[in-house]
Amino acid sequence: MDNLFLRLILVFAPLSALSIGGGQAIIADIQHQTVDVYHWFSNQEFADMFAISRATPGPNTLIASLIGWHLGGLAGMLVATLAMYIPSSLMFVAATSLWHRNEKSRWRVAIERGLAPIAVGLIFAGALTILQALHMGLLGWTTTIAAMAVLYYTKVNPYLVIAAVLVVYLAFFFLGL
Amino acid sequence: MEDLSQLSDAVPAAPSAPLASSGSNRVSLLDLFVCFIKVGVTSFGGSTQAWIFRAVVEERRWLTETDFLAGVTIAQILPGANPVNLSLYVGQRLRGALGGLVATLGMVAPAICIVLLAGALYARFSAYPLTHSLLIGIATVGLGATLAAGAKVARKLERRGAIVLIGLATFVGVGVMHWSMVPVVLVLAPLSVFLAARSTNG
Repeated sequence: MDNLFLRLILVFAPLSALSIGGGQAIIADIQHQTVDVYHWFSNQEFADMFAISRATPGPNTLIASLIGWHLGGLAGMLVATLAMYIPSSLMFVAATSLWHRNEKSRWRVAIERGLAPIAVGLIFAGALTILQALHMGLLGWTTTIAAMAVLYYTKVNPYLVIAAVLVVYLAFFFLGL
Repeated sequence: MEDLSQLSDAVPAAPSAPLASSGSNRVSLLDLFVCFIKVGVTSFGGSTQAWIFRAVVEERRWLTETDFLAGVTIAQILPGANPVNLSLYVGQRLRGALGGLVATLGMVAPAICIVLLAGALYARFSAYPLTHSLLIGIATVGLGATLAAGAKVARKLERRGAIVLIGLATFVGVGVMHWSMVPVVLVLAPLSVFLAARSTNG
């Protein structure tokens, strides 16, 4: 078992430090390591786990938790999850602590103003990526726009919006539309 | 209906006033944790930024928009999953490194439970088209949330040609052309910051 934990750490900790740009950047490497190198899973099993990690809330890299769980139960899940998040998180906190300490400095104000339009561009780029992955029909477009309008103009609780949309999809599904 | 309103009432409502990040009305670690649990179970399919924006900037006014947007960019260019990095950013901003840990735990812990549960149920439910249909439904809400958050922050950008151009270039490069995000940002960010610094001085 110690051996398994060590291997999980060796797979995930380096990828954590290299995951620039988030989970997408390292999913292929996780697949390579767990399927081709260690033969822990078949390609189909990996594809299923990937689908689950995408369909559920939270970061895609939670696939590490699933992998750890399948291989080593609760302890395996904890080891894999920590190996996935500790290296990048330590780097992030170290890199940003200087930033957080200089609240009023002029360079910080300039950087904030300079990063704002880039963040807006990244948010819309993210929206486009989701949109392309969804292959939506008319129903999809309708609920997307409806959700956008409600969330833009009102302060409604997000869970209500999700619940309402689920009811619509259930209705359409069972009416066979 | 609005279960969070009492939190935001405690803090001055001016949109761009210096907020709860420093001084007397510090955010409690419990509030931070609860906030990120709520975000963590909502943030399906890449929409985390939008839900964090709604919870942290709009509902609770813990961070200004510019502060949040800087966090969005920094979270994306440094290694690590974006939702985790943005949780670290917000938590650290409000309550230091411990705050970062608490926010990240709130974001990730319930999500792990859901992933494991979904993993256990997957074999039984993945065969049903209904599962697929409902997941798309949830994803469209995430997409709607992302578009709404994007529209809100875009509206408040400075109306200067260079700034709009940089935002558009980021969108086209990363979103449309699918260029690798890090080099795009590393080229545009220094340029954008330089322009911002110059306009501050002049």
